Amino acid sequence: MALLSRSVRLCLILANLSALARTAAPPADEPLGEYEVKAAFIYNFARYVEWPQKSFRSPADPIAICVLGGDPMGHLLDEAVSGKTVEKHSLAVRRIAEIREAGTCQIVFFAASHKMPREALANLRMSGVLTVGETEGFARRGGIIGFRVEEGHHIRFDVNIEAARDANLRISSQLLSLATIVKR
Amino acid sequence: MERNCLRCGIFRTLGSVATVLLPVLWLTFPQPRIAAGQTSGSQDLTSLSVEDLMNIEVTSVSRKEQKFAKTGAAVFVITQEDIHRSGATNIPDVLRMAPGVDVARIDANRWAVSIRGFNSLYGNKVLVLIDGRSVYSDSFSGVNWDQQDVPLEDIDRIEVIRGPGGTVWGANAVNGVINIITKDSRKTHGGLIGAGGGNQTAADSLVQYGGTAGSNGSYRAFGHYFGINNSVTPGGQPATDGWNGSHGGFRSDWDLSTRDTLSVQADAMRTSGGESITAIFPNIPLQTSLNEPVTNALADVLARWEHTLANGSQTSLQVYYDYVHRVGDTGVAEYHRTTDVEFQYHLAVGSRHDVVWGLDYRFDNVDLYSPFEYSAIFSPPSHNDSLAAMFLQDEITITKSLSVTVGSKLEHNVYTGFEYEPSAQMVWTPSARQTLWVSAARAIRQPAMIDVDLKSGVAVVPLGGGDFGIAALSGDAHPKSETLRDFETGYRHKIGKRLSVDLTGFLSYYRNLETIEPQDPFFSVDSGLPHLVIPEVFAFNANGRDYGAEVFLNWDASSRLKVSSGYSFLNMLTTPDASATGSTVYQPPGDSPRHQPQVRAHLRLRRNLDWDASMAWTSPLANVASYTRVDSRLGWRAGESLEFSVVGQNLTSPRHLEFADTLEINGTLVVRSVFARVQWRF
Repeated sequence: MALLSRSVRLCLILANLSALARTAAPPADEPLGEYEVKAAFIYNFARYVEWPQKSFRSPADPIAICVLGGDPMGHLLDEAVSGKTVEKHSLAVRRIAEIREAGTCQIVFFAASHKMPREALANLRMSGVLTVGETEGFARRGGIIGFRVEEGHHIRFDVNIEAARDANLRISSQLLSLATIVKR
Repeated sequence: MERNCLRCGIFRTLGSVATVLLPVLWLTFPQPRIAAGQTSGSQDLTSLSVEDLMNIEVTSVSRKEQKFAKTGAAVFVITQEDIHRSGATNIPDVLRMAPGVDVARIDANRWAVSIRGFNSLYGNKVLVLIDGRSVYSDSFSGVNWDQQDVPLEDIDRIEVIRGPGGTVWGANAVNGVINIITKDSRKTHGGLIGAGGGNQTAADSLVQYGGTAGSNGSYRAFGHYFGINNSVTPGGQPATDGWNGSHGGFRSDWDLSTRDTLSVQADAMRTSGGESITAIFPNIPLQTSLNEPVTNALADVLARWEHTLANGSQTSLQVYYDYVHRVGDTGVAEYHRTTDVEFQYHLAVGSRHDVVWGLDYRFDNVDLYSPFEYSAIFSPPSHNDSLAAMFLQDEITITKSLSVTVGSKLEHNVYTGFEYEPSAQMVWTPSARQTLWVSAARAIRQPAMIDVDLKSGVAVVPLGGGDFGIAALSGDAHPKSETLRDFETGYRHKIGKRLSVDLTGFLSYYRNLETIEPQDPFFSVDSGLPHLVIPEVFAFNANGRDYGAEVFLNWDASSRLKVSSGYSFLNMLTTPDASATGSTVYQPPGDSPRHQPQVRAHLRLRRNLDWDASMAWTSPLANVASYTRVDSRLGWRAGESLEFSVVGQNLTSPRHLEFADTLEINGTLVVRSVFARVQWRF
């Protein structure tokens, strides 16, 4: 009997709590996949970064977004950029297995599964490639833009300005104002 | 009577599950929503500004989980957020959330933790590692959970692997591996002060600071103190199992070059507590309860060097030294000095082979002193154990969606000589959302000192007419390894954006399971009153056949609510040796529950207010009634750096037993408890 009344009491507490939640919570949005959002970020990076002329062989060349390492984005990135243009450049997604193939890319996304970002980053310095990564401390270790997932729910990004300068890239102040600036 | 109670237990559980779930369901069932111009399912995120993107809440699937999504084994990952929101204050309580892990508290400082049966105070078929350091004790065999303290805030994740892991991890990874991995010190810069207290955990405080060391290094150092109050004996009296511990430690991580990282970590810890034991004498009063101290003085230091070769191959070299001085388990004073060296090489061969091989050497120097007449006696009291092992494993990509992993460990130990532990897994990923796997493996549990060198009284047997007998258990001079041949299959499916399912089924055949076998009794006048001695010896004569299933369901109901539920089912059948009369299995099936369902809900009430609740039911054991645990936590964050939380444990029952007396140690009751905590990061 005591047990019954206890669970009734618990039920009331829970009902109250959830009623509280109902009033407190605005209609919740669908949670989105981390990589859906990251793909949209990468598209925006292409919009807010200016490459040196020599990065493209011809002005009609697409901005090549290369994914290095096991691809966590799958079709999400292709879908995000398909049909889009930035300053007359179309956008193309390529998957590459080795850093050697990165020379003709404008953006290289280092998937978390890639094994040696630091080594690869050293090779890419000053080559006009925007390096984007998602491993811990990516920008601090010489990458240009590093994603972070804050409190496990919101995506933030670090920018290493020195690394961007070394690579001859201009990042718009609009993007920088939203970034966390890090140093080596 | 018992059936009645079982039934009422089930109804009680169903009732309680409904109590938790109904409001949750009511809250989260798709509410008619006002069209906001776009449906997020087909929303084009690229049309949003960077600022808008930063405000989007994403499901936090950790990368490790993605890695494990394609593993051919039953893996469950407990993340830092899971730990934080569980409100647990010790590692065994954290492990309760992993489906298939059976955690039973024996007294305030001892736990029986196992996976897929064979639970016992000295549960010896699960290997536990903390940052690559094995904490398996080779004297009594198993894990002393009171020695395993890691500041919970510093744990990056706990990987729980159910089923055999002998190929990579070696002996004693028979029914599972629990891999506790702490955060890289680069992730823990800044200060952290936490303090809390309650009616059961009287005090728990942590002081920690981390920062950079030079241009390429990071460190953190911490001090942790906890004090746990006495609980209650089954008779309702205050028990003497309260304890406290102080733990200091540090970890540092260095980038030595672009290709080399070095991690160094060390701990020093002491604990002091008590236990109640049943001591046996060949004199009046023959058998009595005594309160004994349980103390630990522990220290370890570990270094790991990882090097990436120019071709992308990775090597790692890990060395550790571990010192344990423990007094407990009927007053036995133990000294362990363990040195361990491990090397691993990970390389890709062509585009199809991903190969890992490794070498391991361990040396244990153990001394066991038995100061009292009633203590467990080990003869000889000193032991040098060495273990040498090598393993090779190859993951072969056959097609884009099909891979096969094969490998084996080869080990040499001082008790049974050479042992091998092969395994094979096949993983099929028909789509990015589905994984189907099958595996077969052999694993062993190698004998420990208790199985060979023990000589101890365990029970007084009244014989009538004032005479009595003492059952005396001793070790087996020719021990065997307990072996497992295991077959399992699993299926994972991510259904839509919100639901994921993980199913595993297994069939396990055991050979040479440890048994206790009575020998011919004899009369003794050697010491004390004349009495009958009933010798019992450890032997390895039982076989076993277990099967079971584990289910895990995760539902991201909304960005504010996550509900997960797990269920494990286990059927154990052991057949003792038919040739020895009276032979019993050392770790009988009756000590492991058949059914363990659980459900957990995480609800974000407001931006800075979290509420968590969990409910778990454990089906009855041979000597323990079924019980339901309900835990809940309310956490409130004041800004970025300050957090207050209140945790209630065992809310629906004032006290319950989770494990009966075990060998000579008397179990105590788990009590309802409340704990409040404040945490400040700076």
